[in-house]
Amino acid sequence: MSSSTKRHSMMPRAGQLPKAPVNLSSSVVIHDNAVLTGNHTINISSETVIHPRNKLDSSHGRVTIGRRCIIHERVVIGAPSADPTKGEFGVTLEDYVTVEVAAVIESGCTTIGEGCLIGVGARIGRGAKLGKHCQHCTITARSVIQPGEQLPDYTVLYSNGTRRTDKRGVTDLKNKAQARQIDVMRRLIPTNLNRFKE
Amino acid sequence: MASFTPYTYIQCPCFDLSNQTRHSDGSPSPTSQDLPEDDDEDHAFDPRSPRSNYSLYPLEYLLYCVDCHQIRCPRCVSEELVTIYCPSCLFEVGSSSVKTEGNRCTRSCFQCPVCIGPLAVQSLESAPEASLLSADNASASGPTGPWALTCSYCNWSSSEVGVKFDKPQGIFAQLSKLRNGSSNTGADVPLTSAGDVSPTKRDANVPEPESTRARFSALRTFYQSQLANSSTGSSMGGGMGDYGFSSPAALTRIMSIYSGSTSKPKNKATIMREADVPNEGFRTSNLDESEAISKLRAEGYDGTVTMEQAASQVEEGAHFADELWPVASLLRTKRAKRCPACRHILSKPEAKVSNTRWRIRLVAGNHIPSVTIKPLPNPGAPPPSALAPLKPTQYLLTFKNPMFDSIKVTLATPATTPGRFSSKVTILCPQFTVGANSDDYDLNEVLKAEDRDQRDRRREDDGSHQVEAGKVFERGRNWVSIVVEVIPASLQIQPTPSILQKAGEPEPDLAPLREDEDILEIPMFVRLEWESEPSQDQVGVASSGKEKDAKEKRELAYWSVLGIGRISQE
Repeated sequence: MSSSTKRHSMMPRAGQLPKAPVNLSSSVVIHDNAVLTGNHTINISSETVIHPRNKLDSSHGRVTIGRRCIIHERVVIGAPSADPTKGEFGVTLEDYVTVEVAAVIESGCTTIGEGCLIGVGARIGRGAKLGKHCQHCTITARSVIQPGEQLPDYTVLYSNGTRRTDKRGVTDLKNKAQARQIDVMRRLIPTNLNRFKE
Repeated sequence: MASFTPYTYIQCPCFDLSNQTRHSDGSPSPTSQDLPEDDDEDHAFDPRSPRSNYSLYPLEYLLYCVDCHQIRCPRCVSEELVTIYCPSCLFEVGSSSVKTEGNRCTRSCFQCPVCIGPLAVQSLESAPEASLLSADNASASGPTGPWALTCSYCNWSSSEVGVKFDKPQGIFAQLSKLRNGSSNTGADVPLTSAGDVSPTKRDANVPEPESTRARFSALRTFYQSQLANSSTGSSMGGGMGDYGFSSPAALTRIMSIYSGSTSKPKNKATIMREADVPNEGFRTSNLDESEAISKLRAEGYDGTVTMEQAASQVEEGAHFADELWPVASLLRTKRAKRCPACRHILSKPEAKVSNTRWRIRLVAGNHIPSVTIKPLPNPGAPPPSALAPLKPTQYLLTFKNPMFDSIKVTLATPATTPGRFSSKVTILCPQFTVGANSDDYDLNEVLKAEDRDQRDRRREDDGSHQVEAGKVFERGRNWVSIVVEVIPASLQIQPTPSILQKAGEPEPDLAPLREDEDILEIPMFVRLEWESEPSQDQVGVASSGKEKDAKEKRELAYWSVLGIGRISQE
C-alpha cells in the first residue's frame, strides 16, 4: 500500500470508458477530467469551453456542439432516455449555448438552439427542440422538458413549467458576454486536446 | 397511503374564554349551534368541531406567560411593532416615513411583476467595444444608460412595458414620476397632510388628473370642501367650518351632538353635491371594451396577466402583460408580543434588522411537558402503516419535563373518541410524576445510570416491559413513558337495523367517509401540578413574612389532541 494521503474515488476511473471518436477544433478548451465516451462521433466547434467532470456520451447517437458554447461541471450530454430507439443523431447544441451545472440532456434528435441557456439541474428530454429557429430559450434551474417537446424562440421556462416570451432583445449583449467569459476561462482551464484524440 | 406522523396539538385556553364571553352575552355563535354539548363544561372537547381549527396549535407555536401562568397562542397575544424594514435591502424605515411614503420600500428594491424574483438595475446599452481589448478602459467608462429593471430569473425587463430610467439611482422616485406623470404633481399631495389641508375649491381650468393617485387626491379635496361648506351652512355655527372631516375637532362635534347639546335644534340636511366634472376626480367608466377585445385577440393568453400577478400590483386594473409595473418591495415588521391580560412581554426581537436573535422569548416548550407518540415496540412484527380496525393497539406516550421542578401529571380522556367513528381509548396510567430537568447533571452519570437500568431490565424480563395498568412503562431523569391502548373503530358505514333504532334518536349519518375522518384523534385533558419558587414580584408585593422559602403550588390544565394514526379501510 502506498503512503499517499490522496483520497481515491470508489467510482471506476474515467479513463476506463471507451474513448469516443472525436472531431475537435484546435481552439476548444476541454478540462482533463471531462469524459468523452461512446462510439459515434463527438464534434466540438471552435472556442467552446468544457468544464471538468462532464460526460459527453455518444453511444446513443452523434453529439455535435457548436461554437462558443459553455458546458459547466457535471453536465451529462447524450444521457440514455427511457425510449431505447435510436435517433438520426444524438444531441445537437448550436452556437452560444450555455449548459449549467448538473444539467442532463437526453440523447435522440435533441436540438438546443442558438444562445439557449439550460439552467442548473435542468433535464431536457429526448427529441426536444428548443427554439423553432432554435434561438435563445432560457430553461431555469431544475426545470424539466418532456421528450419531444418543442419550444418557440425566446421562450423562458420557469417556475414548474410556466412559460413566457423574453422580449428584452439583448441577444447581442449576451453573446458578447459569453465571448468574454470564454476568453477568461481559456486562461483558467488547463487543456490537453491530444488526450481526447486517439 | 401516505405515511402518517403522530402529532400532538394543544388547545389554547383563549378558546374557553371566548366561549364564556359569548355565553354571557346570551347569543350563541352560529358554529356552536350544531354543537349543543359545548355548553356542558364536563363534556370532552371535540377536536373535529369546526371551531377547534382555530384553537389547536403544536407546542412550538405557543408562548407562555410567566406572570399569569397561562398558555398564550398566536391568536391571543397583543402585538406591537419594534422595527419596520425592507426585506430586500434590510434598511430600517421609520414609522413616520411609513405614514407619508406608504408601506413600500422607497429605495431601489423592486419585485418582478411576472414571477416574484428581485429586480436588478441593468444597462440597456452594451459597454463600449474598447473594453474588450483592454481592462483599463472598461473600468473607466463603464456601462451607460438608459437603464431598466430586469429579473434574472424569468428575464422580464421593465423595457417591455416601456419603462426606462436615466440614471441607475433613485429608481423609486423616477418610477413614481413616470407613473403619476409630471403634469399633475400639484394635485399629488402627500397622504398625511390631507387632514389639515384647508379646503379650497380647485381651479376649473386645472387639467384632468390622470393617475389613480391624482384622482384620489382630487376627489378628496373636492369632498373636503363640500363637507366644510355643508357644516358652515348648518345650525352648528360658523366657527366650526374650518376643519376636514377627519380632524379631531369633527369627533368632538359628533360627541357634543350625542351628549350635551340636546337643546340645540337638529341639523338641517344640507344638500351635498357629488363630484361631476373630471377635474374633481370624477371619471365615467369606459364601457367600450372593443379595444381590449381586439388586444386580447391579437396577443392571446400570453398577453394577459394571471390573478396572482394582478393582485400583486400596487395599483389595480392591470389586465394585460404590458400593464404590469415593477412592484416595490413591501416592508416588513419585527413585532414584540405581550400577554393580553397582564401586559407582560412574551417575546421581543432584537431591534436591529440584521440581528435575528430575541431578547425575550417565553416559549411554551420551556414550561409545559412535550408529548411524543410512538407505537409500542412489538418484537417480531414491524409496525403497521395503518391501524387495524377493532384490534387493540398500544401506543407509548412520552412526557418530557422541561422545568426545573418535578411535576405531577394527571391525564383524562373520554372512553370513546368523539365523532362518527368512535374508538375506545384507555390510558393505562393516568397519574404519574415526571422528574425535574436540571442544568447541572453529569452526562456520563446519566448515561451510566441508563445503561445500568437497561441491563437490569433485560435481566428481569428479557427486554420487554410489562404493560400493566396503573404503572409507568418506562422512566428517565426527566421523562416518563406511559401506555395508551386504543381499539380503533371500524370505518364501515352501515345503517343500524331498524329494530335497534330507537324512536327518539336522530337518523344516523350515512355520508361517505369525509376527509381525514379516518385519523384517530384522541382528546386528552392534561393537568399539571408542581411546586415552584414564588415569583419575585409577588414576594415584593405581598411579602408574606411567614415562610419566605415556602414553595408555591401551581397548576395548569389544558386540552390537547393526540393524532395517533390512520385507521385502515377494509
